[in-house]
Amino acid sequence: MTSREALALAVVAIPAIGALVVAVAPRRMISQIAGVTAILAAAAAFTLAAIALSAPDATVETAWLLIDPAAGVLVGVIGAVGLASTLLSPNYLATVLRGIVRPPRLPRFYYALLLAFWAVLAGVPLIGNLGGAWLLVEATTAASALLVGFSGKPRALEAGWKYLILTSLGLGVALLGIVLLAATAGGGLDGLSWKALAAIPSSGQTVLIAYVLLLAGLAAKIGWAPVHNWLPDAHSEAPAPVSALLSAALLPAVLLVAWRASRSLAPAVGTGTAHSVLIGFGLLSLAVAVPFLWRPLPWKRLLAYSSLEHMGVIAIGVGFGGPLALAGVVVHIVGHAVAKALGFYAAVPLLDHDPRASGHQVGGVARTEPALGTTMAVSLGALAGLPPSPLFVSEVLIVAGGVAAHRPWAAAVAAILLALGFLGLSHALLDTLAGKARAGSHRSEARGLRALTILTAVTIVGLLALTAAAFWLPHSELARALAAEVR
Amino acid sequence: MSGALAWLLVALGLGVVVVRRRSLAVTLVTVQALVLAVRAHDEAGAAAALAVRAVALGVLLLLVVSRTREPRPIPAGVAPMLRGGLAVALALALTWLIPTLGLASRNAERGVLALVAFGLIAVATRRATLFQVLGIVLVENGLALAALELPSGSSAAIELGVAFDLTLIALVAVVFHEKIFAEFGGGDSSVLRSLRD
Repeated sequence: MTSREALALAVVAIPAIGALVVAVAPRRMISQIAGVTAILAAAAAFTLAAIALSAPDATVETAWLLIDPAAGVLVGVIGAVGLASTLLSPNYLATVLRGIVRPPRLPRFYYALLLAFWAVLAGVPLIGNLGGAWLLVEATTAASALLVGFSGKPRALEAGWKYLILTSLGLGVALLGIVLLAATAGGGLDGLSWKALAAIPSSGQTVLIAYVLLLAGLAAKIGWAPVHNWLPDAHSEAPAPVSALLSAALLPAVLLVAWRASRSLAPAVGTGTAHSVLIGFGLLSLAVAVPFLWRPLPWKRLLAYSSLEHMGVIAIGVGFGGPLALAGVVVHIVGHAVAKALGFYAAVPLLDHDPRASGHQVGGVARTEPALGTTMAVSLGALAGLPPSPLFVSEVLIVAGGVAAHRPWAAAVAAILLALGFLGLSHALLDTLAGKARAGSHRSEARGLRALTILTAVTIVGLLALTAAAFWLPHSELARALAAEVR
Repeated sequence: MSGALAWLLVALGLGVVVVRRRSLAVTLVTVQALVLAVRAHDEAGAAAALAVRAVALGVLLLLVVSRTREPRPIPAGVAPMLRGGLAVALALALTWLIPTLGLASRNAERGVLALVAFGLIAVATRRATLFQVLGIVLVENGLALAALELPSGSSAAIELGVAFDLTLIALVAVVFHEKIFAEFGGGDSSVLRSLRD
């Protein structure tokens, strides 16, 4: 086993072992064990990400493992969001009085599931086999559905049930596509490695049907329109640290599976067709998301619809392909993860500050709680693509990549929808910060605000650094390696 | 695959779509999975995975039925004949839209598409939460059939994966079903409609 393979194993094994230890540890030590596990798992993830990104051409690819630049980006994102979510969870748990299990068991249940979810999720970008990827993605549903319904409230149970049923059904459709591919490729599970799939000969309609079924099924998990119905419910009702992991890490990780499938099957179904399916899902997701970004929605629900928009943008970028668009995709995945996670973390003190924020749009937070208002402004401003947000640069890169890929109409439609989305989120930003505050909002310092303020400062520095990197990225070895992968 | 076996699997699936009682529907999907296990007799690993999964899920779901007795059966919202008609129509449409799946026999391909269609219709038209879980089991039974009918054989790994996945999802679904039953006084998914924009 090479050092990279050992590191990849550690990225998955550390949170998995942590989950088992939390399940049997004394109650008073649970939070500390989860924290230490998170720090170790994040350190392994950052190391692997740094290695994969520093040498983009030195890809490790076996039948079951793939360590490449795209995996490096996602492993880094999962590590960062997993670490922040775990360390900020005590603030959330302090607000929970009842839940899906009896109150004394809540912390153990929560941390064991969170770490198990992290472990399975970390395996998704690293798996070198479509069959294995499907199994891991389905396993993330089992772990995360219970977290979505963690509060045990009727709305959380409804959200968790919808998430479980719709994504399981979608992944059933995806599995039908995988079985068809297995029938065409032969060789059992080994025939489903990314490398083996790329060697499938073009055999009439079967591979195309399999590809469409696979992407339609994965769309249900990624949250692409029109099979996104569970997304706003699950992301708004889950505990805030879990919402951050779902939106910032799970969705792009599953999207990477769709990306890899598109790359591997492009020779069989045709590159143009493979990319057009992705662009179609992307544009539809953008078009469905934009009207909701213009509506006065509760904070977490607004962030959830923003996830639908951003998964659409990433799909369009992957569909365009080429160094420009794929550099934009990388910046977009990282920038979205950082900004979106911060937004969800702000939900804990926000609900402390204004308990009615769970069901209504908030207003005037900059006046009633300036520190919290700053955090929300950084998150929403970045997500809207307000310069100097890295998402502004990434969206420009993706649209320019569309023109470079000779898809000017798709690029033009994407640009118009992005502009409308920007206006909608900018309006929401102004209302949130300077709008009319509800009478009776708490003005005392909200729970966990100090930690959130520090995280906001770190996030601002990270986002600005990402913006600077975004100007260099299209001409880098990394972008070239990513573009070579999808050709 | 013989036409009689394919028809038997399809008939058991259609039964799940139209029957009223949850316990009967659980019995039907369990028998269906056991029929698949018998069909897989020449592949010991696949047969064992299917049989163990069938019995384990059957016992689990029947236990849940007995723990969460409904005062009266939950109306489906769509009449049984209409449900059956919709299921058959979707199965025929899928067979028409998807000319070939590349499986060992056309009978098997039609059976797979019918079971997937029946599962989708069961989830879409049944209000009882347990029936929605059974819809997913129907889809997975269809996929298990597809794996058995791969021309290259060696379906044991896929059957094991599907069995593991389905058991995991069913366990989580049972937790939700019992919580929904306790919170709302019944397993009727029509009460889960408060989250709308």
